[in-house]
Amino acid sequence: MDIYLPIAEVAVNVPLIVGLGALVGFISGMFGIGGGFLMTPILVFLGIPPAVAVSSMANHVAASSTSSVIAYSRRRAVDFRMGGVLAAGGVVGAFLGVELFRLLRLLGQADLVVSAAYLVFLSVIGGLMLVESVRTILRRRRGGPTPPRRDRRPVWLYGLPLKMRFPRSRLYISVIPPLALGAFVGVLSAIMGVGGGFILVPAMVYVLRMPAGMVVGTSLMQIIVTAGLTGVLQAGRNQTVDIVLAALLLLGGIVGAQFGARASSRFRAEELRAILAVIVLVVGLRMGLGLFLTPDEPFVLMSGLGG
Amino acid sequence: MIDASPPLPPPPPFPPPPAVIAAALTDTIVQVKSDFRGARIVLYGAIFDPAARPGDVVVLVRGPEQPVRITRKEKVAGLWLNSRPVVFRGAPGFYRAASNRPLDDIAHFGTLRRLGAGVDHLSINAPAEQRVETRYGVRDVVVSRLGADYYVWRRAVVRLKENAGLYREDGHGVRFVDQGLFRAEIDLPAGAPTGVYRADILLFQNGVPVSTRTRTLTVEKVGFERALYVWAHDRPWSYGLASMAFALLAGWAASAAFRRD
Repeated sequence: MDIYLPIAEVAVNVPLIVGLGALVGFISGMFGIGGGFLMTPILVFLGIPPAVAVSSMANHVAASSTSSVIAYSRRRAVDFRMGGVLAAGGVVGAFLGVELFRLLRLLGQADLVVSAAYLVFLSVIGGLMLVESVRTILRRRRGGPTPPRRDRRPVWLYGLPLKMRFPRSRLYISVIPPLALGAFVGVLSAIMGVGGGFILVPAMVYVLRMPAGMVVGTSLMQIIVTAGLTGVLQAGRNQTVDIVLAALLLLGGIVGAQFGARASSRFRAEELRAILAVIVLVVGLRMGLGLFLTPDEPFVLMSGLGG
Repeated sequence: MIDASPPLPPPPPFPPPPAVIAAALTDTIVQVKSDFRGARIVLYGAIFDPAARPGDVVVLVRGPEQPVRITRKEKVAGLWLNSRPVVFRGAPGFYRAASNRPLDDIAHFGTLRRLGAGVDHLSINAPAEQRVETRYGVRDVVVSRLGADYYVWRRAVVRLKENAGLYREDGHGVRFVDQGLFRAEIDLPAGAPTGVYRADILLFQNGVPVSTRTRTLTVEKVGFERALYVWAHDRPWSYGLASMAFALLAGWAASAAFRRD
């Protein structure tokens, strides 16, 4: 059963797209991530024009994050003040990112920058996560004591001006690092078609030193605002949002996420992180492979903005 | 002896009336709906030639013009990077050349070039790469910045369009089903652009086009697809806001539906 996507202007198989949404939803529910980094490359592989895949993912990410943030806020696991500061940065980042993406498309370098961004960010994050989680697993197997968490906060975080209190996270820090982090993730989300949770979450844990319980819920809040704005800007500036595609993905994603969340309770946190690290690494390397392999066809037709 | 008058010369033969070609399409409107997976249009026609001279039929179908941006991957410091994109103008979004035998057997290079018959004779060029200069004392010589590579780029445009099912040249795409009656099938892929298509049906005799018919075909989105497409392109900001509102609402509804506490 095929359906013709009005904006992407290609026909796609409905069960395949819904199934893909369910699979990515399962993974995102299991690991507490958006899953955009996985979905966008698969969509491109299935023949959706990259610009449409990246833009439509913003709507998908906003929808799936909304469905999870409500659960977190009920558990009082969202620091709204920190989320607001991150989102303010994200708004700036989204504007910059959409314009940058437009410029890159005009220069014909969009697909290249997307591959490079995937290669760099996913392999670095995936590599770090893998090392960290494998170490934890090995340490637990040997029965060694868990080393005390280094709670020494980076000095530069405290030396900066414009300090603000974040009571829920029990922090008193400058607003500059969270603003910059939000802006950076906003740019990435516009270019890579991801929510950015895979960068936001580690940065909030290791750089901002937020309590672990607050991190995921707060990052989701930032992601909703950023992805919401990115989706509107992509539609307004580039006319590349295919709502039919986003709705199909969402249909599977909602169900998959529920099953994923249930499955996650069967694994230990570090085992989950190790599995996720491997997935992230594989996707990053696969996306970057095109930069190194000799292409079969040296010429590429560029879609959109026909001159 | 009977004075026989010399026999009259036979009357000069009337020049036979010129041959005429007629053709029609089974469909003149193709509707792109949510189940659109491409379409097959049948073109049929007839040749009327009292002298029954041998003739060839060539069918050229051109979709709406779409500029083509193309880039070439180049190895820079071990990495495959995109070159500066080149824009080709004059490229139809869809192109079919069907004939009853290969085009090169039907007419000469110059004729085919003038008619734009065959993928090698499409009048596509890259005006942004051209400049006019004086060479060897000859003024107004058009030179392409792509130099000798120009034909490699041009061939790549055709090759990639062929791979996408958008361009094709079929030397046996026109079949004679009976004396003077012919038919051709035009397959539109799902990726065929929307717009007005022009089908030229030409009759060749002795390598010269003697009769032409032109038919038009409209490919248009209809219903829900058209409404969304028009909305997204005519009022992109309201479309963007509405689709985001829809996404957020769907996310909220999902969390309400699966609430476990």
